[in-house]
Parts: sequence; C-alpha cells; structure tokens
Amino acid sequence: MSVYLKKEDVNTTGSVENGNPADKVVLKMSNIQKRFDNLEVLKAINLTVKHGEVVSIIGPSGSGKSTLLRCATFLEKIDSGEIIYLDKKAAITSHSGKVFYTNKADMKEIKQYFGLVFQQFNLFPHHSVLKNVMGAPVNVLKRDKAEVEKEARVLLDKMGLADKADQYPCNLSGGQQQRVAIARALAMKPEVLFFDEPTSALDPELTIEVLKIIRQLAEEKMTMVIVTHEMSFAANVSNRVIFMDGGVIVEEGNPKDVFGNPQMERTKQFLKSYKE
Amino acid sequence: MTFGTMLSTMAGGMLKTVLLFVLTLVGSLPLGMLVVFLKKSKFKPIAWITDIYIAIMRGTPLMLQLLVWYFGPYYLFGMNIRGYKFPALLIGFIMNYAAYFAEIYRSGIDSMPVGQYEAAEILGYTKFQTFMRIILPQVIKRILPSVTNEVITLVKDTSLASALAYQEVFSLAKQISASQTSFMPFVIAGIFYFVANYLVAWIMNRIEKSMQYYK
Amino acid sequence: MKKFLAIGLTVLTLAMLLSGCTAKKDGKVFKHGFDLDYPPYSYIDDNGEVGGFDVELCKAVCEYNGWTYEAVPFNWDAKDAELNAGNCDCIWSGFTRNGREDDYTWSMSYSDNTQMIMVPDGSDITTLADLAGKAVGVQTATSAYDLLQDSEEGQGELAATFSSLEIYDTYTIAFNDLQAGGIDAIAIDITSGNYLMSSTPGYHFLDEALGSEQYAIGFRKDDTELCEQVNTALQALVDNGTYDAIGQKYPEIYEFLCLKPATAE
Repeated sequence: MSVYLKKEDVNTTGSVENGNPADKVVLKMSNIQKRFDNLEVLKAINLTVKHGEVVSIIGPSGSGKSTLLRCATFLEKIDSGEIIYLDKKAAITSHSGKVFYTNKADMKEIKQYFGLVFQQFNLFPHHSVLKNVMGAPVNVLKRDKAEVEKEARVLLDKMGLADKADQYPCNLSGGQQQRVAIARALAMKPEVLFFDEPTSALDPELTIEVLKIIRQLAEEKMTMVIVTHEMSFAANVSNRVIFMDGGVIVEEGNPKDVFGNPQMERTKQFLKSYKE
Repeated sequence: MTFGTMLSTMAGGMLKTVLLFVLTLVGSLPLGMLVVFLKKSKFKPIAWITDIYIAIMRGTPLMLQLLVWYFGPYYLFGMNIRGYKFPALLIGFIMNYAAYFAEIYRSGIDSMPVGQYEAAEILGYTKFQTFMRIILPQVIKRILPSVTNEVITLVKDTSLASALAYQEVFSLAKQISASQTSFMPFVIAGIFYFVANYLVAWIMNRIEKSMQYYK
Repeated sequence: MKKFLAIGLTVLTLAMLLSGCTAKKDGKVFKHGFDLDYPPYSYIDDNGEVGGFDVELCKAVCEYNGWTYEAVPFNWDAKDAELNAGNCDCIWSGFTRNGREDDYTWSMSYSDNTQMIMVPDGSDITTLADLAGKAVGVQTATSAYDLLQDSEEGQGELAATFSSLEIYDTYTIAFNDLQAGGIDAIAIDITSGNYLMSSTPGYHFLDEALGSEQYAIGFRKDDTELCEQVNTALQALVDNGTYDAIGQKYPEIYEFLCLKPATAE
C-alpha cells in the first residue's frame, strides 16, 4: 500500500479497494469566473475530477490554466461559481452573485484534501529536506513526530532522495528540489495533487527525473491535475486532456483524441505550433 | 585622582551605559515587531498613526525626544515627574529604536518571496504558524546585518542619556576630564566604547555564521 | 589595564609634543581661548559678534602690549587639548582657579565668583543643612559642580547628604527640571543664576553661599613670561580706569570685580 493514499479512516464510503472509487468525484468546479481588474481570466469554467484520474491542462500562456489551479487551491478567490471537494462545498455563489467561502473549520479540513506542487518549488530554505517533508503533518495535523518521520523517509526513498534527508534545499539540483516538493505535498496524504507547470523551471535532463516520479504516481492511481507544457508527457500519462485558451475550455477528451484528432481549429493551431 | 580611581569610576559609568543599552534592546527589538504589525494593519487609521510615529521618531533628534518624554507629562498634564528620569530615558530610547527596528523588520518581511506564504498556506499552516515557522526565521537571517549596524549605533547613542542627567560613561568622562584637566578620561571612554562594540560585532557575527547553513 | 595605560600615555605624549612644536610667542598675535557660551564673560552678542567682559578686557590688554588680538572660541570640554596643542595662548573665560592651582600658570584674579543654591519661592529649604535628603541639580564641568565633588576643600560632604545630585549638560535643562518639580534645588554660579532668574520669576537664592572662588587667566605651565606680561598690563589697565570702565558695562558682574583701582577706594 502506498503511503500517499488518502486517509481510510475518514473515508466513510469504505476503503479504496472495496468501493467503486473511480465514480467518486474528488473535485467539482462549476461556472468558475475570475477577473483581474478588467481582464476576464476565467469565463465560466467547469471542471470535474474523479478519483484516480490524471487530468492534464494544456494551453498557451495567459490562457488561464494556472489561474484555474490557483482558484482550485484557494490562492485566488473566485468572482463567481462553485467549488466542491468530495461532499463539502468550499465556495458557493448566492442568487445576488456574491461568493461565499465556507467557515474556517471546514476550510481547514478541505485544504487537507489537496496538495500543490509549484513551478518554483517553494521549498522552505531554512529547513532540511526531511523537515520540509515532515513540517506540515507535525505542525498542521499535530501527528506523532516519530511516525511522521518514518513515513517521510519512505517518501523520500521513493523519490530517490533517501540520502538527501539531512541536506538543505540550496544544496540540491532543481530536479531534486522539485521531488522534495512532491514528497512534501504527498506527506499530507491529499486526495488530489495539483501540479502548476512542475518542470518549467528545470533543464531537460532534470525534467525527465521529475516526470518519471509523476508517471509513477499515476500508475499508483494518484488523483492528479497537471498544468504542463510537456505535450508528449501529457499524452502519455493522462486519462484526460483539457485544452484551454482565452479563459475557456476549448476542447477536452482522452489524450488520443485531443492530440491525435483535435476537433477545434484553435487546438490544431496550438498543437501545430508545438510540433514546430 | 589616581588612574585606578579614574578607571573604576568610569567602569561604574560604563555599567550604567550597558544597563541602558541592554534594557533598550530588550524593549525595542520585540516592540519593533509590534510596530510592523500595526503598520501593516488593515485598519487604515492605525497604519497611518504608526507611519506618523515612525516618521517622528526618525525625523527628530533623540535628545529632543528624551526631553519631551521626561518633561511632557509635566507640561501637558502638570504631573509630578519626581523619580521619573530613568523610566523616561528608557521609554525614549525604546520608542526611538523600536521605530528603526520596525523599518528594518518591514524591509525584511517585504523581501520575502510570496511563494513562501503560498506554500505554507497550501500545506494548511495558519497565518501565525506561517509567520513564526516559515517567514520570521528567514527574515532574521536577511536583516541581521542591518540590525548589527543599528545595535552598534545604539551603543554610541547611549551618551545622549546625559541630557536627562544620566551618569553614563561619556558624561562621566567629560566631568572627570574637566575637573582633572586631563584628556585621559576620553581615551578610557573611547576604549570602553570600542570594546563594547567589538563584543557586539563579534556576537552578531557568530549569530550570522550560525545561520549560514542555508542560502 | 596596562594596555589602556599605554595607549593613554601615547596620546598624551603626542599632545605634549605637538604643543612643544607649535607654541608661538613672538608677542605679536595673542590667541584668546574662551567658551562662546558663558555670558556675560564671553558670548556671542546681539550683533552676532564675539563679546563679553573677558573679551573686552583681553582686547584692552592686547592693545596695551601692542599685540594683535585673535579670538579662539572652543568647546569647553576641549579647553585643555586646545591650550596644550598651542591653538590658544590662554584660557580666559570666567575660568576658576580654585582647585586648579597646580595645573596652570595663573594670572592675578580679576573677578570673584560665588556659588549659590537656587530654590523655588515657598520652598521649605532655607539653609544649606535643609538640603539633606533633597534632589539637587548642577551643570557638569562648572565651578558649582567641582565644589560639590570636592570633599576636602569644597562641599563634597554636604553633597553626600543630598538624596541625589543630578548632573545636567546645561543649566537650562536643570532649571526646567526644577520648574517641573523633578528636583528641589540647583547649585549654580551667582551670575548664571541671576541670569536665569531674571527671565523667570518665582525663584531665589539661599542667604548662605555654597562657596566662593576667583576667576583668573590660565596659561600653559611653562608660559610664566607671557603671564607676567599680561599681569603687568592688567595692573596698568586697573590703574588707568579701563578695567572699571569695561566692568560698568556689565552690571550683573560689576560688584564681583575684585581689582578695584586705588583711586576708587
């Protein structure tokens, strides 16, 4: 059993193995609108992520894909729409058009359903690799330190970083730092893991080692939403690909269809520009 | 007056200098942090008042501030200020240095990348935890050189306490020099200050080194 | 300890060497060292020029001896360094000789000075003995301060009975503190005290004086010849009435001038 799998004890619908987890909706975002001043970045986006699904979001810069991720993780507040994690309503919009986020206690629990891996890693430079991974379970979940450390070391081992536990982020390569960041996110045992262009800050050879880890997680049925520019990787690893442009979802489907036989003109243009 | 008497008298003055120095640091280092929070307050009037406070503390001479803190209660409210000299001195120094430290803290906090806050937020850290565990330790490392400068300035600024008849080492030096027609007290005072600042620089350097394990 | 001594001695030796090299006694330029902030002996007058009893008397001495007068205002704390470095030829600025007899070559005393205790009207302090247990203020490096520090010839024993002796940078702040009730009394030269009380009524001196002393001109220890020349000139100015004429311009100190011409007595 993998350590990153979600908490069975809070899963009232039964364990992963026994139920029908693929039907379980982890995240449902409906009619999401987001505006920066006068610029409409997200125009009524709908996104549903089911358990065990790997969703890749592709699209040109400024298409709103990163903003969508930031709205899903509450780093940005939506201007309209609804966000539901499992059965919990995180944000709703009233009839008068005002957005309400749920209370603090609920929000605290909802935040434990997801993790986010940043483009710039955002590791804590003053903490060792091990402490980066252990910090949140110990300080936020108030879990037993020894137990957390055991899990953290297993995670680091899986990331191929067992020998780096006592190092500091500044002594690691970008690829190693990003793998620590993934371990840090997994240590919280999220239901879904978001990646915001996880390899954009990396050299090609370092990109490969990070993508390898993500692929491994996909094989273990980790629910993931990945914003990426790595087209072949997206084609390879995802169950579903979403192409966004101008704040809307232009096309979505299984990778074979979207990459092999795109229906929309805009998608074709975009994919063509990538091949050149 | 023998050299030994001179030295021991001035050592007594140095003790008062050190006392003022230590109490000022103990008061102003934490108070500076509170000032930053007030300055960053979302309730604008508080932020404005804090800005004005910092501007006055930095824009007027410390000696003048000391006189105002001491005589203010009498001239404004007719209060009895007997025995209030040392408290006034401490308030004056702490309020002044808190303003300077606040500006140093603020520059340090503002220099932190937003990604650190976001990473902590995603992991579920509360605002307080984020500040105490993630932001503050890194801010301290960043601002340490500026704090060292300010602390060394404070050692020398303690001589302004003579404005309120506080017998610290420099005013003693002036008095002994005048009565003994000797330059020696100033030499001794200079050496005392130098040794004190050398110690401060050495300690701060040790602290800086202890934080060099990461970049 | 030994190191401190060594460094101190080095600095002193340097100062002495310097004074040896630069002291000029050609008799043509007389450099008058004084404090700019000691009215009415030496100060900046209303026209922004150097004035005061000491300045005028010194100019008269220069004229009498055929010297050129040069004003050297200095920071009072640095007076010895200035004198020893040869930047001035004398310290002549309401300078008290008492207690410093061995440190300079002194001219004849030309003015008395009395130290008094100043209290608010209505104070329960009427004698020096009443000062026991009281807070008394004084300005640093003044005659009153020296007097209260000196236990052998001064009032050090009296000072020991005070609840505290507060030493200020300036009498202005000490006087503020007296007004605000921070202290009970101020020990001060009679002339400076008169000056303060003239602008703010409600204060008086105790009848009993704290002490008295004489003002004279301080020269470097080896400058006895120069001192004699000044003494001769002073005596002549007293005899021809110039000293008295200058003194009459300064009524607040006139009665303390102790070199009265023979004809006036």
